[in-house]
Amino acid sequence: MRMRKIIHIDMDAFYASVEQLDNPELRGKPIAVGGSSQRGVVSAASYEARKFGVRSAMSSVIAKRNCPDLIFVKSRFDRYREISQQIRSIFFEYTDLVEPLSLDEAYLDVTENKMGNPSATMIAREIRAKIKEKTGLNASAGISINKFIAKVASDINKPNGQKTVHPEEVSEFLEQLEIRKFYGVGKVTAEKMYRLGIFTGKDLKSKSEEYLADHFGKHGPYYYNVVRGIHESEVKPNRMRKSLGAERTFSENISSEIFMLEKLTNIAEEIERRLQKSKVAGKTVTLKIKYSDFTLQTRSKTISYYISSKELILELAKELLYQEKMKDSVRLLGISLSNLNTDKPSAKEKEEKKEVVVQLKFDF
Amino acid sequence: MKFIVSSSYLLKQLQILGGVINNNNTLPILDNFLFDLNNDELTVSASDLETTMSAKLNVESDSEGKIAVPAKLLLDTLKTFPEQPLTFVAEDNHTIELSSNHGKYALAYADGEEFPNPVSLEDPSNTVIEGDILSSAISKTIFASGNDDLRPVMSGVFFQFSTEGLTFVATDAHKLVKYSREDVTASQTAEFIMPKKPLNLLKGILAGSESEVLIEYNESNAKFTFDDTTLICRLIDGKYPNYEAVIPKENPNKLTIERNQFLSSVRRVSIFSNKTTHQVRLKIAGAELNISAEDVDYSNKAEERLTCGYQGDDMQIGFNSRFLTEMLNNLNSDEVQLEMSLPNRAGILTPIDGLDPGEKITMLVMPVMLNS
Repeated sequence: MRMRKIIHIDMDAFYASVEQLDNPELRGKPIAVGGSSQRGVVSAASYEARKFGVRSAMSSVIAKRNCPDLIFVKSRFDRYREISQQIRSIFFEYTDLVEPLSLDEAYLDVTENKMGNPSATMIAREIRAKIKEKTGLNASAGISINKFIAKVASDINKPNGQKTVHPEEVSEFLEQLEIRKFYGVGKVTAEKMYRLGIFTGKDLKSKSEEYLADHFGKHGPYYYNVVRGIHESEVKPNRMRKSLGAERTFSENISSEIFMLEKLTNIAEEIERRLQKSKVAGKTVTLKIKYSDFTLQTRSKTISYYISSKELILELAKELLYQEKMKDSVRLLGISLSNLNTDKPSAKEKEEKKEVVVQLKFDF
Repeated sequence: MKFIVSSSYLLKQLQILGGVINNNNTLPILDNFLFDLNNDELTVSASDLETTMSAKLNVESDSEGKIAVPAKLLLDTLKTFPEQPLTFVAEDNHTIELSSNHGKYALAYADGEEFPNPVSLEDPSNTVIEGDILSSAISKTIFASGNDDLRPVMSGVFFQFSTEGLTFVATDAHKLVKYSREDVTASQTAEFIMPKKPLNLLKGILAGSESEVLIEYNESNAKFTFDDTTLICRLIDGKYPNYEAVIPKENPNKLTIERNQFLSSVRRVSIFSNKTTHQVRLKIAGAELNISAEDVDYSNKAEERLTCGYQGDDMQIGFNSRFLTEMLNNLNSDEVQLEMSLPNRAGILTPIDGLDPGEKITMLVMPVMLNS
């Protein structure tokens, strides 16, 4: 296969940077985007705040403890979306193969690009300069032969830097890479790897595919391949939405099911509104419960037909709620709908040309 | 043995009994009627092993005997005669000779002892019900029963007798009918599942009949006795599904509508529905019911608007139009009520008027949901 040139662009502390851009008095100061209340959670922190150990997803109380001067700013997603659009339009000057991962991250395949520029490193530098010029924000970039390495590389010289991993450097780069830095290896997997004596890419490479499959199930072959620089996943423009969800963190932990129902009703209404906006429906409802001790539980149910109305979403969410007793008071509830009708039907389903209507049965 | 009987009287009885006989029997003796003569009382029986029906006929005779006569041959012959007395004489060479005004016909008969004996009911419980009531209980429910060999219990009608009343239930898991009579009661509580075939026979015979029907039953069999007829059948073995649990309790959305108008709209609109799903969509807002159907494959589409009475939230629900028409057809009322809760929950159809005192009909239909 022909060698690809993939760029991963990652905005630096995106939400926080946008706030600092729009409010000059916040510049150079430790800020956190998110709620400052007892119950709030940091959704993004500026680099000044990160020095104090403020991280995203951290509870606001802990963040404030780590950094007493921390300034909390309310999130403005419309504004972030607007800037994200500007950035994306820059990407499209170079290639149509743009796969946005979120508002502040995207993969670009510049193997063939509109500028005819053979150097992906140069393109990345140009894109970052244009982002700075147009929005005043800093971006970091990773450049390599596949999405996996590009993603890992964009973190190396962050903030406001970039890293190219050339084809001949791939092997060495991955071997010396700490296992924690592998994309797709989270805290839990990393600990498991440590127990198996895997600390770096080199250690990982020494294991057989069977060994990894035994220990990591279906992810085993993925680890086996990526550490060898094999990651064929293409840059997929207009990535299909896989799920749609909403959640609420409560100002006080709740244990009354009546209150939970009320919250779920609100969440279901929001989901219905968003489903209608994007004209999708789904078959799987997942209820997310975060208890006051921060342990997370998800319960889900899949039905044979697509639903999109708040009544039916709530109906299933209720069923999931009552399925088992709450083990503690609850700080967050969320509902998400997946198995959406935007998912491409598998070849088998296409063949069967599944009936579009399902006759429901009594539950005998 | 020898007897004389009126041709039309005999034909009428044999045609009823003939309903029991299967078209292709593995046991050849079952292709026959059993004639059991005891002076002027002739008992004719037909059986398919599961169900045995007998009728007593008054004939002119002073002899006795028990023979099995080929059913089809006899029926085909009798159908051609105008009313006249017929004489039957059993000869020694295993033929029975039939003499009419027109001539003589010989039919080969088999020994009556070969004919299987009907089961005798041990320790039966019993209930008495008017023929016409039983007939309408059957006809109101039987259409909703299933044909799934994997769920044999649902291929019959569930009889639930108690001191408070009688209940008859049929379902195929998509639709369900519960027919209750509080004006007829049983001496004790009993439940059994009757197979469809004997019920269809009873339905036909008992329609409009004011005769009392004695129902005797035990664990495995039931016996129906009325006029000069008895029907004994084997019950369906198994546990009937807990149907009460699937009847939605809270149904905030209530629609009332003229039955005939609703039925003809559904019929008309369903012509345009998809040929495999037969889906029609009901959209209710305010006092307007919108019935629509669409066959995307052929770009056929229909929509009708009806005025209705409605209490509840605006809603949309899809149903298989065949189920709706069947159900509406099986009601006699001028007006019906359709109660609903959610588009994935059963709709409950009930008649508003035209019921006998103590009579209650509840019909349930599960909706269809879009899968794309």
